[in-house]
Amino acid sequence: MTWVEYNWLAPVAIIFWLTASMAAFRGKTALADKAQVAGIIVFGIFIIGFWLTLGRPPMRTMGETRLWYSFFLATAGFMAYKHWGYNWLLGFSGLLATVFAVINLLKPEIHSITLMPALQSIYFIPHVIVYILSYSILAVATIAAIAQLIKLRRGRPDPKLYAFMDNVVYLGFGFLMLGLLSGAVWAKEAWGHYWSWDPKETWAFVTAAAYLLYIHLRLRDANQKMTLLTLPLAFILLMITWLGISLLPSASGSVHVYS
Amino acid sequence: MWTGPWGYRESLAVVVGLILVAQSLQLIIGPFDNYLLYQPGNYLVAGLLLLLSVSSVFFQRLRLVRWLSGVHLAVALIAGLLLFSLIMGLTPQFNRLPDLNDQVPIMKLGWAQMTTSRPFVMLYLLTLLSLGLVTFKRLRRFRHNTTFIFNHAGLWLMLAAAGLGAADRQRHVMHVREGQVEWRVFNDQQEVLELPLAIRLNNFELEEYPPKLAVIDRTTGHPLPPKRPVMFQIDPEKTRGRLLDWDISLMEYIHRAVPTEGGYREVPMPASVPAAKIMAKNLKTAEMSQGWITSGNSMLPVSALSLDETRVLVMTRPEPKRFMSDIKLFTQDGLEKEARLEVNQPLKAGHWMIYQHSYDEQADGMSTFSGFELVYDPWLNILYLGLIMASLGSLGLIWRGRSRPSTKSGS
Repeated sequence: MTWVEYNWLAPVAIIFWLTASMAAFRGKTALADKAQVAGIIVFGIFIIGFWLTLGRPPMRTMGETRLWYSFFLATAGFMAYKHWGYNWLLGFSGLLATVFAVINLLKPEIHSITLMPALQSIYFIPHVIVYILSYSILAVATIAAIAQLIKLRRGRPDPKLYAFMDNVVYLGFGFLMLGLLSGAVWAKEAWGHYWSWDPKETWAFVTAAAYLLYIHLRLRDANQKMTLLTLPLAFILLMITWLGISLLPSASGSVHVYS
Repeated sequence: MWTGPWGYRESLAVVVGLILVAQSLQLIIGPFDNYLLYQPGNYLVAGLLLLLSVSSVFFQRLRLVRWLSGVHLAVALIAGLLLFSLIMGLTPQFNRLPDLNDQVPIMKLGWAQMTTSRPFVMLYLLTLLSLGLVTFKRLRRFRHNTTFIFNHAGLWLMLAAAGLGAADRQRHVMHVREGQVEWRVFNDQQEVLELPLAIRLNNFELEEYPPKLAVIDRTTGHPLPPKRPVMFQIDPEKTRGRLLDWDISLMEYIHRAVPTEGGYREVPMPASVPAAKIMAKNLKTAEMSQGWITSGNSMLPVSALSLDETRVLVMTRPEPKRFMSDIKLFTQDGLEKEARLEVNQPLKAGHWMIYQHSYDEQADGMSTFSGFELVYDPWLNILYLGLIMASLGSLGLIWRGRSRPSTKSGS
């Protein structure tokens, strides 16, 4: 099994995942389940076959890591969807898995770009996947918060929306913390220290603190508007952590900036 | 305000007040000095915090104790830490600050070295107190509060290990020559330190990726195009490719070569270099050039391929794929360990961890020494315990979400 076969198997998996997402949105759970699992199995077959052909786990090039992103996003997203019953979770994770699968289809050059030695670690993929899941889930929480703010303006905040938001933030925060902790374990193995307040680490902490603030504000009688506003603000901090680091002057010495 | 149980307003007022006091202290007497936390100082602080946390269980009737372990103060503390870490994220941080006279206001406030600034340390210690108190408050109903306890206790352990343990951590870089034993390092002041462990380097190995080709301008010596140079990755499995205006054919590639009559041959010795026999055809002028190219090293000369009057095809120095040291470690306690160290594969020996750090990059495969990073952290196991607990707590959050709906605001 090589990248040639990927060109046939990946589209099949993608079609299954997109079918699953659409079925989930329409409430057709049985079909959604089967389609998602089918897609995961097809993709899994490719990965195993590829692994056997290469004689080593496919974890050394950029293209190879994208394979694992697709696989685990589809799988973890499916498990979270089964547990929580949120249709959009399946759609989201299926879409993300598709994005990475498509990148591999459209950019064959990345198939052989080797990862730098520091990235060749078993912690790399879990660390990234868990953060991707967390970010996408927290995006949903942000949208819910904005919807609730609008309702609050009209004098009718929805208690069910509050309950949903809380659940989603706990879910997203759980993944966020797993990302932070796996990053710390990896840092200790690779760089000698689990936390050196590198700009990326500092901003990851800032983001986590912001969501922690929301979680705690929700426990006791706090001003509703202020509490709800923490979510969009936290999401801005999240975006800075994810994408904005390379733009900050304080970050030019960061080990997380690869340029 | 201040009558009845203290809520958000009072908590915020107290925390802001403490920040102002700590900030003023910073301006007057400077940053918090780590020496206070050298062993046994940090153990005493941890012990005191634990003592306060455990005993608080018996004083739950006191309003002070309820406030210290309550959500309102927690919110104020989280907000404070958020603020100061945000400042840290926006301000370039320095390991060593210039003399007091040369410092800009941000440095005087302590913000350019936030982890030693008094407001940050104050918030950090107060957070430890709050976390300890609330963990023990909920400990009585452990089964009902497992996720809560794992998260809060886990965080306590991690913050204690990272913050209180900071003073006891040591980090050194040691260079060891092949075949020799070393136990000394230089500290920051260029003085020699003798460590309680010694390393013998048996063998150092370096594997490199195949190098790349680049076109350089003879007149400037710079790769082309000037703003964003393009490189051609040599891949023994791909014998044809394109680099700028040229069609490149890889006729022969030897990863570890030495020069011979009219060419190169494979001799895998430390001083060998990568060599490629290239045929380059200019797609615009049909001009062809053919010859051996090598990146050279300190013993063997560079060999380039002339393309035309102004341009030359050269080979870059190969990048490291993997470097490994075969070592034997000796400690003063009589422990002996053998290991093959690589990036991402350190050696653990007691409270020490030894990492493959560097090598003589100028000499490549002929590197005469290997650089090791030695890190000492007696609090590491406490950190890992906290980390595992917090991870389990995170799984609890993922699994259960917010299991008990609030009876207060907004629901």
